[in-house]
Amino acid sequence: MNKTSTLIAALTLAASGAAFAQGTPPTTAPANPATAAGTQNPVGGPMGTTGTTPQSNSGMSGAAPAPSSSGSMSSGTATDTTAMASPRPMRPARADRN
Amino acid sequence: MNARAFRHGALAAALLAPLAGNAAQGDAQRLASAAVAAGDNKSGQFAVVDKQLARVFVFKADGALLASSPVLLGLAHGDHSVPGIGERKMSEIKPEERTTPAGRFASEPGRNLSGEDIVWVDYDAAVSMHRVRPTVKAERRLERLATATAADNRITFGCINVPTSFYDAYVKPALGDRQGVVYVLPETAAAGKTLFSFLSP
Repeated sequence: MNKTSTLIAALTLAASGAAFAQGTPPTTAPANPATAAGTQNPVGGPMGTTGTTPQSNSGMSGAAPAPSSSGSMSSGTATDTTAMASPRPMRPARADRN
Repeated sequence: MNARAFRHGALAAALLAPLAGNAAQGDAQRLASAAVAAGDNKSGQFAVVDKQLARVFVFKADGALLASSPVLLGLAHGDHSVPGIGERKMSEIKPEERTTPAGRFASEPGRNLSGEDIVWVDYDAAVSMHRVRPTVKAERRLERLATATAADNRITFGCINVPTSFYDAYVKPALGDRQGVVYVLPETAAAGKTLFSFLSP
């Protein structure tokens, strides 16, 4: 193989790599913004406007996980307005008056 | 035994006799029928507690009596809970505050701090219906349930104690896995008029 062939092969490889990179645009709506940002706070604290996983629903929009049809992560707060047709989550255990 | 005690005992014995057929006694049956007629029981099974008889009646959704049993009730006579009593320790509750409140209660299944499944009658006031717990022998709870009279069935801190077999056979199936309604008949005349809106005057 002469120098010309080697050069052509190298150029071809470089071109195909560039083409692959161009065909994979960066996502604007990552499923996990912390992962997409390339960093995660190990203690879950805030890290500025990017790079944090939403800790609550307040003040957040977009990238919210799809609601589950059965159960939820809610602890059954007083604002839960479950319809009468579905059973209300069991309230926290507490001492009774025996 | 004096005359008054005899009369009370005889009356209680008659009232506590095993119930035949579908006939509940007086006030409980009347309340049940009125509740069903008004749709107040939300087409579900429900319970009526007659404090004067110290007895619980479990009804089918259509108002037919399913079963009944003696119960233990709050030590003190009265139809209201002291405000904030649900947040207090048992040791902080005075004898005169150990009432079982009367009224219509939206019951719900739940658990106490021991993990026992119970039926909350009034969650905020910490009043539940549960299996009798004979943990303090001096209270003689099982013996009180077994006597023919209702006069000695006042011993609890406000909860409604039910024999274990009755709880498992009737209370738990009716109210232990869904929201329901528990009606507690008052024992004082002052409370009787306004507790149940579906009762016509």
